[in-house]
Amino acid sequence: MIGTGDGKRSPIKVVSRTNQAEPNTAAPNGTEELRLRVQQLSLREQIERNHFLLMRLNAANARLIQSLEQGDAFEAIAEIIANLIGCEEVAMFDYHSGEQNFSLAWTSGVEAAAMQPFLCGAGMFGRTVEQGVSQYRERQPETSLLPHEKTLTACIILKSSREIVGVVAMFGLLPQKSQLEWADFELVKFLETYGAVAIKFQRLQGKQVSL
Amino acid sequence: MASKKILLVDDSCTARLVNRMVFSQKSNYVLISAIDGKEAVDKAREEKPDLILMDIVMPRMTGLEACRVLKSDKETERIPVILLTTRGEEKYVQEGYASGCSDYLTKPVNDAELLDLLKAYLGE
Repeated sequence: MIGTGDGKRSPIKVVSRTNQAEPNTAAPNGTEELRLRVQQLSLREQIERNHFLLMRLNAANARLIQSLEQGDAFEAIAEIIANLIGCEEVAMFDYHSGEQNFSLAWTSGVEAAAMQPFLCGAGMFGRTVEQGVSQYRERQPETSLLPHEKTLTACIILKSSREIVGVVAMFGLLPQKSQLEWADFELVKFLETYGAVAIKFQRLQGKQVSL
Repeated sequence: MASKKILLVDDSCTARLVNRMVFSQKSNYVLISAIDGKEAVDKAREEKPDLILMDIVMPRMTGLEACRVLKSDKETERIPVILLTTRGEEKYVQEGYASGCSDYLTKPVNDAELLDLLKAYLGE
């Protein structure tokens, strides 16, 4: 937003006032007005995008909180990925830091049997844990992908404090979605921490019940 | 003037939460919800919403089946139904329109575009 100098915030007013007071500015009036309008539209769009993102993050958070009661953290994460990011093929793996190995915890839209090669913890999937950072297919050289990783879109690290809780493997995207976008990366960052906490909570609750 | 009423039908809790959040922040529409097609048909008859926003893949009764039922009922045939689904394949889009829906949107939806479309049907 651009201030008008009178405490109000309306760039379109600024343009008309500027035009009246200083008709001989360097840029032609029409060009300057157009430039300000474009700037205003761009700012408005950014504000809107951030507002919508906050609402999505808020809804995702509410869903994870709900999962604490329902004990469906994996389903909640899959729902968030399907509805807000746009991927319905997901596998979630538990990471056991003591033994440094994985176990398949949950799948949606993919065959559990097809997930076996991932358990060896190699390739892009393995790098997620080695580096403690989510990995994206579009940022990997094709040669660094293992044969079973060709359909991967992203591997999301689930990490609470320094503890790696697991990895979410996303395969493909919905046909109407060509690539991950700005808001998707923000949602992934959200899931890295909040998803990990929800799963950890569920695990601890399971242990408590079994005692 | 009374606020317009939208019936949101989705078995995904996340989808319902997001739409509730967006509508409450960005519009004056009253939102009621149902979790499958069967409940949607019952609620549409009972609540007479101004518009129905409905997912397709749901348990008990799909959005396509529910849309057909609503469009064949004198009480609900005039309510616009917008299908909002992850199914973007042409086959589903054609089936959607054949069921009588007014519009067909795919997830993940652009919230601003959705609100614009709702305004086109319902006004501010």
